[in-house]
Amino acid sequence: MNLSPDTQAALLLTAPLLLGGATSDAQPLTPGEAKRLVRMLAGDGDTLSALLTPDSPAVGRAASVVSADRLRILLQRGFLLSQAIEAWQTRAIWVLGRTDAGYPVRLVERLGEDAPPVLYGCGDPGLLQGGGLAVVGSRKVDGALMEYTRGVGALAACARVTVVSGGARGIDQAAMSGALADDGSAIGVLADSLARAAIVREHRDAILDERLTLVSPYDPAAGFNVGNAMQRNKLIYAMSDAALVMCCDTGVGGTWAGAVEQLGKLRLVPVWVRPDRSSAGLLALQQKGALTWPEPKGPEALAEVLRSAQAAFAEAGGDEPATAATCAMDHGARLRETLGARGLARTEVEIAADLSLPSAEVKALLRRLVADGSLEKLVRPVRYRIRTYAPTLFDPDGL
Amino acid sequence: MRFREQRALELLRAGTGVADATFRPGQCEAIQHIVEGRGRLLLVQKTGWGKSNVYFIAAKLLREGGLGPALLFSPLLALMRNQIDAAVRMGVRALTIHSDNQEEWGQIEQAVEADQVDVLLISPERLANARFMADVLAGIAARVSLIVIDEAHCISDWGHDFRPHYRLIERMSRNLPATTHLVATTATANNRVMADLRDVLGPQLTVARGDLRRPSLSLQTIRMPDQADRLAWLARQLTQLPGSGIIYVLTKRDAQTVAAWLQSRGHNVAAYTSETGSDRIGLEQALLRNRVKALVATSALAMGFDKPDLAFVIHFQTPGSVVAYYQQVGRAGRALERARGVLLSGAEEADINDFFITTAFPTRDEAAAVLGALEAEPSGLSVSQILSRINVSRARTEKTLQLLSLESPPPIARAGLRWQLTAARLGEGFWDRADRLTALRRQEQQQMQEYVALNGGHMEFLVRALDGDPGPDLPPSLAPLSAEVDRVLTQAARVFLRRTSVDIEPRERWPGGGLPIWGLSGPIALEQRAQPGKALSIWGDSGWGELVRQGKYVDDGYSDELIGACAGLVAQWRPEPPPAWVTYVPSRRRPVLVAGFAQRLAAALGLPCLEALVKTHDTAEQKDMLNSAQQARNLDGTIAVTDVARPSGPVLLVDDICDSRWTLTVCSWLLRSSGSGPVWPMALALAGGGSRT
Repeated sequence: MNLSPDTQAALLLTAPLLLGGATSDAQPLTPGEAKRLVRMLAGDGDTLSALLTPDSPAVGRAASVVSADRLRILLQRGFLLSQAIEAWQTRAIWVLGRTDAGYPVRLVERLGEDAPPVLYGCGDPGLLQGGGLAVVGSRKVDGALMEYTRGVGALAACARVTVVSGGARGIDQAAMSGALADDGSAIGVLADSLARAAIVREHRDAILDERLTLVSPYDPAAGFNVGNAMQRNKLIYAMSDAALVMCCDTGVGGTWAGAVEQLGKLRLVPVWVRPDRSSAGLLALQQKGALTWPEPKGPEALAEVLRSAQAAFAEAGGDEPATAATCAMDHGARLRETLGARGLARTEVEIAADLSLPSAEVKALLRRLVADGSLEKLVRPVRYRIRTYAPTLFDPDGL
Repeated sequence: MRFREQRALELLRAGTGVADATFRPGQCEAIQHIVEGRGRLLLVQKTGWGKSNVYFIAAKLLREGGLGPALLFSPLLALMRNQIDAAVRMGVRALTIHSDNQEEWGQIEQAVEADQVDVLLISPERLANARFMADVLAGIAARVSLIVIDEAHCISDWGHDFRPHYRLIERMSRNLPATTHLVATTATANNRVMADLRDVLGPQLTVARGDLRRPSLSLQTIRMPDQADRLAWLARQLTQLPGSGIIYVLTKRDAQTVAAWLQSRGHNVAAYTSETGSDRIGLEQALLRNRVKALVATSALAMGFDKPDLAFVIHFQTPGSVVAYYQQVGRAGRALERARGVLLSGAEEADINDFFITTAFPTRDEAAAVLGALEAEPSGLSVSQILSRINVSRARTEKTLQLLSLESPPPIARAGLRWQLTAARLGEGFWDRADRLTALRRQEQQQMQEYVALNGGHMEFLVRALDGDPGPDLPPSLAPLSAEVDRVLTQAARVFLRRTSVDIEPRERWPGGGLPIWGLSGPIALEQRAQPGKALSIWGDSGWGELVRQGKYVDDGYSDELIGACAGLVAQWRPEPPPAWVTYVPSRRRPVLVAGFAQRLAAALGLPCLEALVKTHDTAEQKDMLNSAQQARNLDGTIAVTDVARPSGPVLLVDDICDSRWTLTVCSWLLRSSGSGPVWPMALALAGGGSRT
């Protein structure tokens, strides 16, 4: 696994790098601090990797966000990083940084600078690009509801829709195992213990078949933590096309909080609730705008339900990534779209016209994308094109 | 960080103990490069140039600048003691961690915790050791400022017969961000190695390359197929060669044999192998202070051993590659005007090198067996559980597990004591690399045979093979040694080779999982065990090996010479209480081979020979059972005692080839259980179990 300098820097600065009983005085940057640092560097056309160069002026400037001592302590964790990567690799775990080509586009588009700086995962990262139906609910549920949930998973499998879930006991596992048992695919967005989950035998066969991808924004060795579990819920929604809440308590718990956040503040995807008049939680969500799951009976019906819900959602103005902070990311995404993966090369002036951006901004953008390895700079005349990557992160004959 | 040249010079002088010492060309620049963080550096310099001065001084300067400690990876730390002494004189707090000093780990851990370590020296294997990572490295990992990779050619060579764990060093280098300084050193880097190193260490790598020639060294080669001739030649030459030196052999057994022979001829020599254990330090010191004439050593005594006045390096057999040979012969004459490197080429070396080459990687069948056993057990298996399920030897199973787990990503991972499959398949790349390396090893072997055939220009050949600059012609300063051999000494050597016998240690426990038909498990009761036994030879050795092989596979009967030798061995051995009768291991497949041998031996000893044991079932041949658990289980319930009347006294239990010792263990238990006295096992040859490497 050859990580890009930006991803190395993101790990050094924000990841705990848990390894054995390794202790250090280092306090990784909080999401807020990391966000400010990225923003500050972007102002000068730099990315995090600028901090890896010895005596770089970026290191001095970064002191306005993070103390010089703390930055130094974090950045000198290079050897620790190398050993953490090694430990992850022994479990076939990869890492993707936000600027890496394989990082899920949906997360960048929907969460912008709140998208996790790095994702750890096991399985085909390509599966994360395809969206799917998020299925969420509690850990403790009765047998009938488990069966019902497995049925939803199986139906998604028939319709070739990926199930996105949290990999926890209860609803999560029922939905995922229902999909996998019927030869479908699933994404497990984990809040903890990815390293352990990666070698569980039931997961292994589906991972090798490229039907299951486990992914987490938290260190693979990290244990359970309520805060992380809540944050993870946001990613489940952001990774999907639409979500179905199977059950939830009113006013408490991660399922409730995650759904309310979607229906209110975030509005990333349409949200259904299972039709159950006896559940106060689900009824409460309906009052906050959740739709009633129409219980489609076959794969075509499910596909149609998804299609119309997304269309209605878009019309109603949901899913609008319009915060100013996401614009820089958007320019990058738009540029990638313009150039395409087929190797089209354009000059700076042409690109400025394509994106209708001022030339200073285009210059900074191009510098950043060349530095992080996503663009290739050609000479005579100077043109730019998308650098193509091998499909897997592990260099196949790298050793 | 700013480089202070004056301080660097002070440290050099303190380290060397020479008040007006100055840097060799390139040393100061290298230190500056590291300290100022100008990117990764590779030093290609011959042994003795002072690579350790560079990294110890750089590490010290970084520490004085407030940065964290350095980590130094070296394959043979035990041999870095004199470099460490120099570091200590500079005020560098250098500590070594290896598998032999676990009792000191606690202290080292505390020193690391208290930030009282400047350089921690570890072997690459440590990186794969969970306890080390958790207990010791954890305290330092977040602060390491400098990585030193000694003998960096191992990254490229990753000689699978040598240090597979250099693959961990390779991956560490790839994963290491630019913020951590890195310096790699080697004495041998041909273009192929350089290309690999650039690939691993990055295109920005700065290379500082010195002269590889050793003008003081006079090289020669002598082809001498017969071992007895070479022993005779050594015994004669050692009386005349000035100074002290090293005699390199290819196997641990050869080290013991050659050392014992030379000692028997009155030479002050000692064997030095990876099994020498705690005596190593004493032996190195003895050689450093010229208190021994020579150490007879395997490649365990190679990198890092620093004796400037080493006068000669003689090879008893041809090593597998120019890299290996140059490394070893390059120990000689570093601070002498004249030194010798003599390569003797023997008939057995092709087999030994072939063995190293063909066993360097697991076979596809072995890998499939191991992976298949793990596939069948979702919760994983320990090594002994794997062995009880597959017919692959322990050593081969462990090698397979090790190499598979060093793949990236690995198809297997260890969780606690158990091995488990991961979510990665073993790629074809593994086999491609095995094929490519095997082909490369063959070329290297061939190249050494070209070297053996040279009549002159030896140094030029080596330097060219290493892609160095052979420079102007440098004729050897010493006349070649005579290749003549004293016939009388050769005869004495031949007798010597046949004089040695081998112990057969009694087994003390039944195998894991037990022998269910006989209902045996756990420890073997003392009064049911065999006594310590003797074998006349080791299967295939240069003493009796050929005669034993011929008896077993050509003549279907053992020669009088072997019977006589065994009777002689019993007389010399004198087991107490002495055997009163003789019996033998029964066979249905070849009923007369061992029986006939036992009867003739009994006659020679003047003892009765009785058929006390009988084989009741046909079984697969023991030699096709590849690990201990399989060998033991193959015997379960298949041998019984006969109703022949037999004396109650001690008995000599005879077999021809002893492999796993399970047959002798089971026969002894049967005999003792049916009322016999102590059982003394004796065999013509001991096979398997460490008879090679």
